[in-house]
Amino acid sequence: MNRIDTLPPEIELAQLLQRCAARDSAAFRSLYDKTSPILFARLLRMLRRRSVAEEALQDVYVRIWERAAQFEAHRGRALAWMVTIARYCAIDLMRRERMTLVGDDALDDIADESPADSIEKPNNFDHCIGQLNEKTRACLTLAFVEGRSHDEIARVTDNPLGSVKSWIRRGLLSLKDCLSSERQPT
Amino acid sequence: MKTANRELLDRLAAEYVLGTLRFRARRRFERWLLSPQVGALVKAWEERLAGLEPRLQSIAPPATVWSGIEKRLELRKLARAPVSRYLAIAASLLFFAMLGVFAVYRFGGTVVETPQLAVTQKAFIEADPQTIYWRVELLGRNEELSMHVHVVHDLPAGKALELWALTASGTPVSLGLLPTTGDHHRVLTSAQRAALDGAKQLAVSLEPVGGSPTGLPTGPVLHVAPLQAV
Repeated sequence: MNRIDTLPPEIELAQLLQRCAARDSAAFRSLYDKTSPILFARLLRMLRRRSVAEEALQDVYVRIWERAAQFEAHRGRALAWMVTIARYCAIDLMRRERMTLVGDDALDDIADESPADSIEKPNNFDHCIGQLNEKTRACLTLAFVEGRSHDEIARVTDNPLGSVKSWIRRGLLSLKDCLSSERQPT
Repeated sequence: MKTANRELLDRLAAEYVLGTLRFRARRRFERWLLSPQVGALVKAWEERLAGLEPRLQSIAPPATVWSGIEKRLELRKLARAPVSRYLAIAASLLFFAMLGVFAVYRFGGTVVETPQLAVTQKAFIEADPQTIYWRVELLGRNEELSMHVHVVHDLPAGKALELWALTASGTPVSLGLLPTTGDHHRVLTSAQRAALDGAKQLAVSLEPVGGSPTGLPTGPVLHVAPLQAV
């Protein structure tokens, strides 16, 4: 396991993506070297099996290469853009295969700690997520971070499926309302 | 009815980004992503939910992953024949652009009406009153932005034009790239809405393809246009 102590700067990643859009394979290799340990950790967190995550990582970089021209540098967030592609790849795979989340020892490698915040949070995010009740927060996290389906969340948290669906729906609405309000964090 | 559709689309966009749609619903929803309005809803949710991203320790993948990618994309061949790749990309972009033009957005047999907020401000990006390049409209309380190409603007190769809100304090805030053809629509972020609050002018700068990588204009400002209340 290698640890990256310095995360690649966003501007550098955005420039590499722009060069990938112009079909520069050296830039793609450099982008891969800088970001694959981050995306691999993210995939392992969702897919839980090394062999599956390795295959998914290939799919992710194939998509990144093919879609590099769609990246809008003016919106920034190059790493967030790539992490989103990785999440969607993992979710597609899990939903298609109805994958059972039986992991191997890979999970031991992905402690929840990092030398820096890799993805920028929206303004007020911590305040707004803190406004949700604990159950709702847990459901949203299980879905977003681990890619769990409604059914799995109901099973894991031992709550009725209907409640889980409604907490998620209401939680998303509250989060949106809170983030779009002008209110500053207290 | 329009409001109901808008709410339904937004709810589906949220669950699409969260990942809780079932496989078939997810596939069905992805067909709608060709619609700029649905795409904008999804982007807005991606930005909102990014706050849930966990902080993870990096893990280097084995070398076999890169060799697999290299093989699948035929990167070694590409290094020798870049021109044919450019043609392939141009062809695939054209294909998706045409798909976008002809797509009909359907869900469960019901045509989804395009929800619309009212236009509240507009600006004309122009060389002179006879040569209008873009009509830019702000909808609702600066919630959404529409851009309509009138006359195609000259653009050097490898460059793009980026639209900026000139805030009351004079700091430009990006509103995204200007389209080269057709009509485009996007949902604005809270930062963009805040920048437009009190803004009296829009500006256009020349940037690299993909837009300014720094978050501020890096090329010359080619146009400044006043915002007019509608």
